[in-house]
Amino acid sequence: MPLRLLKFALSRQYREPRMFRAHDRLRDRYDAVIIGAGGHGLAAAYYLARDYGMTDVAVLDKGYIGGGNTGRNTAIVRSNYLTVEGVRFYDESVRLFSRLSQDLDLNIFYSERGHFTLAHTESTLRTMRWRAEVNKHLGVNSFVIAPREIKRICPSIDLDCGGHMPITGALYHPPGAIVRHDAVAWGYGREADRRGVEIHQQTAVTAIDVKNDQVVGVETSRGYIRTSRVLSAVAGYTPRITKMVGLRTPITVQPLQACVTEPLKPWLDSIIVSANLHLYVSQSSRGELVMGASLDPYELHSERSTLDFVEGLADHLLQLFPFLSDVKVNRQWAGMSDMTPDFSPIMGTTPIRGFYLDAGWGTWGFKATPVCGTTMAYTVANDCNHELIAAFNLSRFEEYELVGEKGAASVGH
Amino acid sequence: MSLRRLPEQPREWIDRGQSLRFDFEGRSYDGFAGDTLTSALAAHGVHVLGRSFKYHRPRGICSLANHDVNALVQNGSNTNVRADVLELAAGASYRAVNTFGGLARDRARLLDRFGAFLPVGFYYKTFHRPRRWFPFFERRMRALAGLGAIRPDAPRRRTPKRYDFCDVLVIGAGPSGLAAATAAADCGAKAVVVDEQRRPGGSLNYQCVAGPGSENDAADLLRQAASRSNVDIRPDTVAAGCYADCFVALVDAKRLTKMRARSIVMATGAFEQPAVFGNNDLPGVILATAAQRLIHLFAVRPFDRCVVLAANSDGYRAALDLAGAGVRVAAIVDLRPDGETGALADEVSRAKIRTCVSHAVYQAIPAAGLRGIRAAVVCPLAADGTPEPQQAFDIACDGIAMSVGWAPADGPFCQAGGRMQWSDALQQFVPRSAPEGIFVAGRLNGIYALDDRILDGRRAGLAAAAFLGLHSAPLPPEVARPAASPNHPYPIVPHPHAKSFVDLDEDVQYKDLVHSVQEGFDQVELAKRYSTFGMGPSQGKLANTNAMRIIARANGKTVAETGVPRSRPFFHPVPLAHLAGRGFHPQRRTPLHERHVQAGAVFMPAGDWLRPAYYAPEGERRAQAIRAEALAVRSAVGLIDIGTLGKLEIIGPDAAAFLERVYTGKFANLPVGAMRYALACDESGVIIDDGTVARLADDRFYVTTTTTASASVYREMQRWAIIWKLNVTIANVTGSFAGVNVAGPLSRRILQTLTDADCSAGAIPYQAVRSATVAGVTARLMRVGFVGELGYEIHVPAYGARRVWDALVDAGRPHGIRPFGVEAQRLLRLEKGHVIVSQDTDGLTNPFEAQLAWAVKSDKPFFVGGRSLEILKRKPLSRKLVGFTLATEDLREREAVQECHLIIAGGHIAGRVTSIGCSAVLGQTIGLAYVRPEMAAVGSPLSIRVDDGRMVPATVARTPFYDPKNERQTLAYCC
Amino acid sequence: MKLLRCPINGLRPLQEFLFGGELRDMPDPAVATDRQWADYVFNRQGEPGIRKEWWYHLASGTWFIAERDNAKDVILRTYLYGAGGQDA
Repeated sequence: MPLRLLKFALSRQYREPRMFRAHDRLRDRYDAVIIGAGGHGLAAAYYLARDYGMTDVAVLDKGYIGGGNTGRNTAIVRSNYLTVEGVRFYDESVRLFSRLSQDLDLNIFYSERGHFTLAHTESTLRTMRWRAEVNKHLGVNSFVIAPREIKRICPSIDLDCGGHMPITGALYHPPGAIVRHDAVAWGYGREADRRGVEIHQQTAVTAIDVKNDQVVGVETSRGYIRTSRVLSAVAGYTPRITKMVGLRTPITVQPLQACVTEPLKPWLDSIIVSANLHLYVSQSSRGELVMGASLDPYELHSERSTLDFVEGLADHLLQLFPFLSDVKVNRQWAGMSDMTPDFSPIMGTTPIRGFYLDAGWGTWGFKATPVCGTTMAYTVANDCNHELIAAFNLSRFEEYELVGEKGAASVGH
Repeated sequence: MSLRRLPEQPREWIDRGQSLRFDFEGRSYDGFAGDTLTSALAAHGVHVLGRSFKYHRPRGICSLANHDVNALVQNGSNTNVRADVLELAAGASYRAVNTFGGLARDRARLLDRFGAFLPVGFYYKTFHRPRRWFPFFERRMRALAGLGAIRPDAPRRRTPKRYDFCDVLVIGAGPSGLAAATAAADCGAKAVVVDEQRRPGGSLNYQCVAGPGSENDAADLLRQAASRSNVDIRPDTVAAGCYADCFVALVDAKRLTKMRARSIVMATGAFEQPAVFGNNDLPGVILATAAQRLIHLFAVRPFDRCVVLAANSDGYRAALDLAGAGVRVAAIVDLRPDGETGALADEVSRAKIRTCVSHAVYQAIPAAGLRGIRAAVVCPLAADGTPEPQQAFDIACDGIAMSVGWAPADGPFCQAGGRMQWSDALQQFVPRSAPEGIFVAGRLNGIYALDDRILDGRRAGLAAAAFLGLHSAPLPPEVARPAASPNHPYPIVPHPHAKSFVDLDEDVQYKDLVHSVQEGFDQVELAKRYSTFGMGPSQGKLANTNAMRIIARANGKTVAETGVPRSRPFFHPVPLAHLAGRGFHPQRRTPLHERHVQAGAVFMPAGDWLRPAYYAPEGERRAQAIRAEALAVRSAVGLIDIGTLGKLEIIGPDAAAFLERVYTGKFANLPVGAMRYALACDESGVIIDDGTVARLADDRFYVTTTTTASASVYREMQRWAIIWKLNVTIANVTGSFAGVNVAGPLSRRILQTLTDADCSAGAIPYQAVRSATVAGVTARLMRVGFVGELGYEIHVPAYGARRVWDALVDAGRPHGIRPFGVEAQRLLRLEKGHVIVSQDTDGLTNPFEAQLAWAVKSDKPFFVGGRSLEILKRKPLSRKLVGFTLATEDLREREAVQECHLIIAGGHIAGRVTSIGCSAVLGQTIGLAYVRPEMAAVGSPLSIRVDDGRMVPATVARTPFYDPKNERQTLAYCC
Repeated sequence: MKLLRCPINGLRPLQEFLFGGELRDMPDPAVATDRQWADYVFNRQGEPGIRKEWWYHLASGTWFIAERDNAKDVILRTYLYGAGGQDA
């Protein structure tokens, strides 16, 4: 029996301390200001404090810790991407994630479940093979498997998909994992806080002061801060921040919806993604099926839900798992995804000195939380881009050097 | 008659003429038609209905209104069914979910003893060290978590959906909803009233209203509404989600109805709220309205002897109801310092019911085995409301009915965009602002007196009618909210030892919330996520308000500053089958589909279309069939259905100018009767499609696109034409025209037999387009070269397709004509080195990388992507598409290479294979691949890494591989 | 779901439409610098506000412009390109 629990039973009083301090006031000067107290922002703060001794840092959030996409995503962690830059980057993240509970001394429920990306056509299977080859080259455990192998590992799946678009194969990635997403923000927050970082919730940034292309300060709802370093890690709110410094970016914001069913006894161990049905599903440790599909196909700065999202998803889910007919969907929600043309993030330095971007996270940001923390901390501390993120710089668009992660083909035959 | 069944009640829902037998947890019982599982069991004195999520404590009735999930059962294929509202079915057999060894002997009930070890968030603080043990703990936790179990062999249920429309959708068929519907209907609106309960009437059905004629009021309201021909009342229908523009998901047992209303009246009422005290979760502790439902709807006596915990007049009425049903009401414990005054108080004292004013229930004392309660511990409250437990005393009872207040059922209203604000006077949220077309009435609006609710409903109905332009008279005055709030501000008296629950779904206790705040999870959303209150199946209907109060107090803040977590669809969980519907997946077929089926085609999807991949009439293996089809084309003649290609007619004085701007090539100088390859890029210079452009006249072009891009190309052309203000008409004739390609050295000979037009090479040279009649059908003939043989695309109106196909097959039979599919075509074009967009190109490929620089005419003034291509041209290439042949004789090695295998050089990725095929006619395995530009010279060696990591050698080769001078397709002479 | 008013066909559910991106002015490619051109190709006005956008009614093949508040999801007006006055 885990010994920690004994401590709770034996003491009369509940002595657990605050995980994050409450601060009466916002100081008027910090070495660095991080906008966004989600997983990315707090991870960057943690590594800045831990690895570079930069503790005079304020993390500001207009809402509560982890209230943005960190608290809304479907919590899948994997590194089976397509480009060399992407695979290297996300694999470092997986490596960090797998030890994160121990590093932060908070159980984030990192659960390796095995991840399938199902292909239902030959051309999609081709793309899976492309990913597998790149993955294998870089040492990532990822390979193409045939339908009978899929069935062996996940017996409940209907390979025939109800007769419409039967499965032709899959990309299988055994290290694929799911996580308790909120706990990632809490863990990073607590450890950053412990090292002196100040987390200020309910504190909105209203303007960023730039003089001669150099950041000099930040205006907030609780006062002005002088600082020469600002890191923006606000996902769907990025365009509002980049506008403050006059930066143009390709980012557009589209809602990404998700939903959960009622809790069920465990029956699905694997994480299932269907590339053709545009569906992903996993079963959390609470027993709920956590599901998502494709983005809403228009710009909208809102977290509203729609009926057609959950209708389409239900149809596709029942194609794969027809026995779930009577399982009920409990709740649906949405987050705002900051999309980029090449489905790769926008990270690092910008033409404004002292202004650093951690953005363009679209639908792929949560799994990168730890590696964003380490690379952005390096970048902010050294004022130069970490080599893992060099390819993701904002400047790549004007140089026509896009990093294409959308998949092999965007046009059909 | 069973133990607790009452004699006939005036408004009961049961049919005593129909007795039904059923099983629960392996024991047999009987009930009546109209009983729910819970009410039938309650009639037999069975109070323990389930085990809680975390501690596996016994649970019974709480709301009996589907606002809690204490009683979740499974029956065969169906799990997580709500026993409180599940109508009894004869012969059905039910078990509680989430027990280990049955409800009575649930082994997991031991967890209740270990509560001290399992404080809020305990699992975040442990089980992660040592790391390798976490999977073991996780598996145990997963097994304990979860409610119902799935049955992997249950068949897919397909339920049809429905669309519906109305002028006014009224959500809630209680008094305000019925009044609203009647008022709107009287103005001429078509009104639909939905209610989740089995019968309309809402609280009219079970809350005894003081005063004579109250029953007549209820029946009267209902009769009025039902008598209007333009009022449609739909009970057993949940407004599960309210979406933009008054679009509402209505869910009933059978189906999902997607209702588009022109306006909505939200008359959803309020959820009666529980009080928090020690052991407030035990069977026997129920909401007062639950007791009233048991009595009036199901004729069941809830208890033998009870205590009523009250903070409003409703509690007193409930006490009288209970007494009238033969329950010994031992006391009314009134939280309020001044108690109840007026007629109701007098009636209670006439009934000799003891009242303890300014007292609270401190704890419920469990009966043996935790199967219920045997007493309530009552203590006085000081003037400031703090409990004085040192003066507590016991009152023996087997039930506690709580009537301490309400919380508005504002989920649908908030989902639709409505906003609520806290009212200190009323101690609940009330509507602050509503989107256009949405109106509120009744308890949701903070109106409680029955007469007022009816007036408020009427007003909302008239407001909706006015909004729709059906009512022009001024609206009646707004109904005032009650001066005295029926909602106690803090019905929470936590016990120092006995568990005091706030969220029954998740087993979240009072102290869990206090500890959450202590640990810094002091904002309501953070506290929710950390403690999980409000995250269970009932989504906080009975937990959110008390949680908010506790968190506010722990923070030293007001309730208004604290708020409740956001409300989201669905109001009640909705089955996947309802949402999925019948699952329609349209399939597009060419007019020749049946011919392919008859010829033994094996189909493949191409976008929405089905195309033959290859033909195997005698069960040939795939590789065999493809090889034979390809050889037939090279040596004799073959026939392929190309009807899925996009086909567009571009017509008008600016047609040529338009095409010049859309494609990378030149078309203004294309002679009439000729055709040319067409390449399209997007604005960033990336290839998006290719096809052909044929000129039929000065101002008329016939364009083909790839199958999957046809809709998007058409769409983008339409947009460009608008922006450029060109005088051009674009007609999408993809579905109107069918097409076949007859290809091979004998193709001309066969075609000539079917047409009067001169098919000689002089009359129809390579890349010519002609009009002709083929097999009696008007056709466009185009001499094309995609597969590298003499060949003709024959485009005919769709109705003529079968005739032409049959004629070609007949004419070709003596020559060995056979149909060939997409796979053979892929191989044939590969032998010519032709690129397939989206196979040999990806989402970032530009023409310079893909051997298509020749198709880009940069000396044109403008074309889409041109400016970007200028920029790209100046950059060094990072990769180049080249042809290659495999240098190995080993068959197994040759077969091991597949598309997307990587080219490796110096241990790094240097490219990838995009196409590969075994060419029978060449006797070689050939392919296309991207390689680094410095490796692109013909003759350069390549290493391809295959699945098992071996390297297969290859050599860069010139393309075309077959007939390098293209003589066979451009054939200038006849044969 | 949301309703959108096609200028030709009237009020239709959102599922019948395709979003075509923000309405942008193309700079003269002959005059624009490489950087200005790349900005046109890739950069967008991503922050919330009232935007002019291209929308396409799939069922009828109609392109039109919608002025939409893309934070409140309220459509102010829709019109055919060129019929909106000023620029488009």
